[in-house]
Amino acid sequence: MATTKLGFIVQRPGYKSENPKLALTHAIASQSVEIYLKDGDIVTADIAFIGDGVLNCIKGQKAVENYDLNSTESHIKMSLLLDLNVLVCKEDLERFGMTESDIVIDAPEFGAEVEVKVVPYTEISKMMEEMNHLLFF
Amino acid sequence: MGKLTIGCFASLVGSTNLDFAIKLAGAAMEKGHKVDLWVSGNGTMISIKDQRPFKDYSSLEKPLKELMAKGLNVTACEACAESRGYHHDNTLEGVKRFSMDWYLGSCFDADRVFHIGGE
Amino acid sequence: MKLVAFVSDYKMTVDTLDRLKPEKLGIILVQNGVYHATTKEKGKPSSLLNYSADYYVLQEDLETRGLSGANVIDSKVKVIKFGDIVDLMFNEYDKTAWL
Repeated sequence: MATTKLGFIVQRPGYKSENPKLALTHAIASQSVEIYLKDGDIVTADIAFIGDGVLNCIKGQKAVENYDLNSTESHIKMSLLLDLNVLVCKEDLERFGMTESDIVIDAPEFGAEVEVKVVPYTEISKMMEEMNHLLFF
Repeated sequence: MGKLTIGCFASLVGSTNLDFAIKLAGAAMEKGHKVDLWVSGNGTMISIKDQRPFKDYSSLEKPLKELMAKGLNVTACEACAESRGYHHDNTLEGVKRFSMDWYLGSCFDADRVFHIGGE
Repeated sequence: MKLVAFVSDYKMTVDTLDRLKPEKLGIILVQNGVYHATTKEKGKPSSLLNYSADYYVLQEDLETRGLSGANVIDSKVKVIKFGDIVDLMFNEYDKTAWL
């Protein structure tokens, strides 16, 4: 039995580029990776929004209404439903004059029990140290 | 020798990121490493066969085929490909198509993961 | 961690490199990132060369842009090939970052 920890680091805003969304959809895919693994082996996915990437977390996104696209917000909520560890850099939120009240924190309507964690960058740095591999988006 | 998993999300035409990925894959294989290549998003463009080569555009079918003949394991994101009209019947022979969990499965036992995203 | 970061742009759109504090940092300049190794603006070399890191620049990407090792302005930047990148990734560093 072994665990491989992947860290998905989102550094850029979404929509103009597909990459932030792909970070989330690939991280969500950690929930179905078992078909490629031996019994007991696990791949975990932690997600961190840093730099301009924190702008992905603004709540109230109307991507479906305007572009008929699933919003990044909904992917973050799906990540919470699947109990993924989602971190948002506190200093970067503050740089944009934002607080927890401006971003997606929870997803009770999805049935999610975990919440987004707004943490100092030092916590994200610690997470990166703990991962086996990092994927920067 | 180790295993290198490369993920590339950039388009074949319009970027040289896939060129970089293929050159790196070739260099790693020359040194005896096993290499998996996952292409997702616009990167799935590399999986389409019979692309006409022009010198003004990146064309990787030839080196890709050569590396696959030597053991390069290439998989394209099926949803990303289908969303772009890249269907199974025009996929380059030898390129597999799976969902995104394949990439994570490949990362599981990789010694190194090299993810080229960021466009 | 021992992290090797690939810089592929001349004008960076992210500041991630400023925040990464690995135990060991390598910076490989590739694609348009090679200009950091060869270009001065208003007489000053790129600030990207100021990190406490081991620096490398990809020979193929220098040559593609009409440059060579002779254009590299700081001797701490080592000119390397793809095979050297593989060796660095496997032997010197444990994680990679394409920025």
